[in-house]
Amino acid sequence: MATSSIDLALNRLRETRAWKSIFRRGPARTNRTRSLAIFGNIFLHLMPVKVREQSLRARATYYLGSFSFLLFLLLTVTGILLMLYYHPAVPQAYLDMKDLRFVVSNGVFLRNLHRVGAHAMVIAVFWHMFHVFYRGGYRPPHEFNWVVGVVLMLLTLFLSYTGYLLPWDQLAFWAITVGTNIISAEPVLGHDVRFLLLGGNLVGENALLRFYVLHCVILPLVAAMFIAVHFWRIQKDGGLTLRDDHEREGHERQD
Amino acid sequence: MTAEEMGKVSKRLRATFAIASVAFVAVLAVSPVKDYFQEWKRHEKDYVRYAQTRPDTKHLLADFHSGIDQIWLPDMKVVDRCTTCHQGITQASLGDSSVPQPFRAHPVIPHPVKEWGCVVCHRGQGPATEVAEAHETTLAWEQPILPTKYIQASCGSCHRGDIPQTPQLNRGRQLLSELNCAGCHRMQEIQRPAMLGPDLSNVGNKVTREWIYKWLKEPHIVVDASGNTVVDGYQTEEEPRMPQFRLTDQEITALSAYLSSLKSHPFESYKFDPRVLASLEKRPDLAELGQERFRQMFCTTCHSLAVTRGDETKLIGGDIGPELTKVASKVNPDWLITWLRDPQSYLSHALMPRYQWSDEDLYKVTQYINEKLTDPDLLSNVPQLETPTPEDIQLGQRLFLEKGCGSCHVIEGVSPQKDFGPDLSSLGGKNVSQLEFGSAKFPRNIVSYIQAKITDPLSVNTAARMPQYRLTPADLDAITTALLSMTGNPSSSGLERLIVPRPRPGFRAAGAFGEVYERYKCYVCHRFNGYGGTLAPDLSFEGSRARRQWTIDFMKNPQTLRPTLIFRMPQFNMTDQEAATIADYLGMASQSQFVNVAGGNLKQFAPEMAAMGKQLYEVKYQCQACHTIGSSGGYVGPNLSNAGNWLNASWIEQWLKNPQALVPGAIEPRRTFTSEEIQALTAYVLTLKQSGQPKAAISGAAVTGGAK
Repeated sequence: MATSSIDLALNRLRETRAWKSIFRRGPARTNRTRSLAIFGNIFLHLMPVKVREQSLRARATYYLGSFSFLLFLLLTVTGILLMLYYHPAVPQAYLDMKDLRFVVSNGVFLRNLHRVGAHAMVIAVFWHMFHVFYRGGYRPPHEFNWVVGVVLMLLTLFLSYTGYLLPWDQLAFWAITVGTNIISAEPVLGHDVRFLLLGGNLVGENALLRFYVLHCVILPLVAAMFIAVHFWRIQKDGGLTLRDDHEREGHERQD
Repeated sequence: MTAEEMGKVSKRLRATFAIASVAFVAVLAVSPVKDYFQEWKRHEKDYVRYAQTRPDTKHLLADFHSGIDQIWLPDMKVVDRCTTCHQGITQASLGDSSVPQPFRAHPVIPHPVKEWGCVVCHRGQGPATEVAEAHETTLAWEQPILPTKYIQASCGSCHRGDIPQTPQLNRGRQLLSELNCAGCHRMQEIQRPAMLGPDLSNVGNKVTREWIYKWLKEPHIVVDASGNTVVDGYQTEEEPRMPQFRLTDQEITALSAYLSSLKSHPFESYKFDPRVLASLEKRPDLAELGQERFRQMFCTTCHSLAVTRGDETKLIGGDIGPELTKVASKVNPDWLITWLRDPQSYLSHALMPRYQWSDEDLYKVTQYINEKLTDPDLLSNVPQLETPTPEDIQLGQRLFLEKGCGSCHVIEGVSPQKDFGPDLSSLGGKNVSQLEFGSAKFPRNIVSYIQAKITDPLSVNTAARMPQYRLTPADLDAITTALLSMTGNPSSSGLERLIVPRPRPGFRAAGAFGEVYERYKCYVCHRFNGYGGTLAPDLSFEGSRARRQWTIDFMKNPQTLRPTLIFRMPQFNMTDQEAATIADYLGMASQSQFVNVAGGNLKQFAPEMAAMGKQLYEVKYQCQACHTIGSSGGYVGPNLSNAGNWLNASWIEQWLKNPQALVPGAIEPRRTFTSEEIQALTAYVLTLKQSGQPKAAISGAAVTGGAK
């Protein structure tokens, strides 16, 4: 293998003390050191050390889970940028929407990226779920991860719903009014849950603040934890659920 | 597959990545490109280009800053970015109408643009930086720019009282109140007066059923056989206070039956002194005598009469009371006498003063009215009406409430529906989506909505109960302006603290003067401390102006000071006691802080001073151009023949210094007299005295003389 100047520079970097203190491993030249590199990294250890080639093929998963995760990252980044322009207050919230449109550079793009990204994430998550379901991904040993996935789907929907109120326009107001009225129709706890969500009996400033905190802090943190568990469980449960014929084909080739 | 093989990437995959990357960058580039070509940036470039063609380029460009320009008024919650495109709005040199929009400067107004922003008055969407969003109704904005024609409405949102700069708005408010809109609608700052329509509890004693029928059918216009509209005893050029309701003949029959049955307080007909009757009854010129008395008493200051001169018929006289051309065909003669003697006994809040009648005068005037102010053909087209049946009366009573008559007219024992018409107090601020257009075929905006509702209520709502109004286009626009000014409670917009409230009537006269004041209804024409009519002079400072004895004489016999005026003070036949009460009260209470009556009047002026004043009056300042002394001089200002008896010296001095400080809006020019000249002129004016009682002002001019 020809060693380019980049490789040389990288190799020199790997010899430095700082690098060694962070990664604690030498260059990943053998399967063992490669495995150690994965195990020793907080982010990479969620990933399997080895994957089957079949599971990397597009037709195996259509990368729907990855797409969902990428959209989650996109929404986090655009969401944080939007937070710089947004006050969860009445009526300033709506005026901030107007400002994003009228004076913030690329504000419309930013907002639309967040909005379209959210729509896309809901679609991707559902598609992912259907795909996994038809592949039988809920069967042992994947039962627990299926449940985690369902929770993630609900979190996605709830993130969408809480984000819907934040523009504070008529659509938002009435969507949340209708939605929370549906909650209150629930027996026994309905009214209390509604009161808890809205911080009152109608969609007002308190509701906006609660939805803002849910949308920007609580739900994303919970979702991030569940995503971590979800990824980690994939490798603990023996990798992705592949279609039987793929699996068979894989076994044959390995044999 | 070995680990080494896995790192290999196929050519196809590389190509796919390459294309995808380019496409991705292209998509991402759309947003910055759109950002670069925003409308406001184009307008800013145009402005710079335009400024370079102007002679004062340097000055204009020094004031120009690229980027979003905004006026932020946190107190008012205003963010206006209008000046981003309207760059020249404060540049005095761009005021000319040849300057293209959006760069033209705003005309000078009392509220500078930088302190008030634009949308506070013009509406529209202040934060917007796109033309359509800023000016029009869009998906997410429903308050478009207010057409400039109605811009005075915005003044009225804060200035709840009338201000001289907004004639259209003031006219609109006046119309809303004159047309009794407050009868059915709740409106911002238009108070419901004590009397809207007459009290009808006793109307059966006053008029006949036929007359009621006629009135209900055609309160507005009667057309003669050739199709011409004529003054017929009802019509004036203006809308009568009672509008035309859409009533069927059957409904009118029922209503007239009901109303003519209302005779709550029977009255006794007045018995004239038999000696007076005996002396006057036989006189052939009785009606002429009555007419003379009618004119002498200046009834026409409040009431008008139709006068035909040549081909033209018009009403001459005041509009405080009803027009009287054919009143004798309307009212019961016995009722008329009772009314003239004591209007308040029939209608407690009537505006008509309670005159001191002698039997002789009363008989003459009523004979004149009964003989001359009549039209035998008035009721000729009223069908034969039978004696009212109980069913008719019952139906009439129901209709009285259903048609909303009860909103303006009171009938004892009948309680009308509250808030008969919709609340209009926040109409002007409503969004288009809050207005009910029905199947109407006119543009969906608030101006056409308001105008359609007034001119053709059925076009908006086929079940509308609102009567038909006929307004001139100017009046229609005035009313529209007044309604647009009613934007409701501005507590949410931060403008609340800016409201300049409408002055409230605060003047109540008490004691002996209070009685006289109420009896003669002084406030109908005169203003006291900001409260009262505007027909006659404001008397708030009258005590500083006029001397006591002159005031007493004037009350007893109000000869005119301004002979060209049609409207004159009626002769009330006051007693000495009453005249003295008025003079004393005015002398005590109606003093201006600028005039020191007590000090000034002790001054003695040397005859040389008066001679010098005469010189100044006649030669240097030529006061006779406007003022009359004796029989020569102009008619613009008051007659000064008796000014020495009339005016206080200190008033004259202050007046000459600054007339407008004493009477805002006085037409007398403010001259820069030296103080010596003022002393001299005062001395001269004080020498002007007419000896003896002037003759009663007898004039037919009130009825036959010129226009208003």
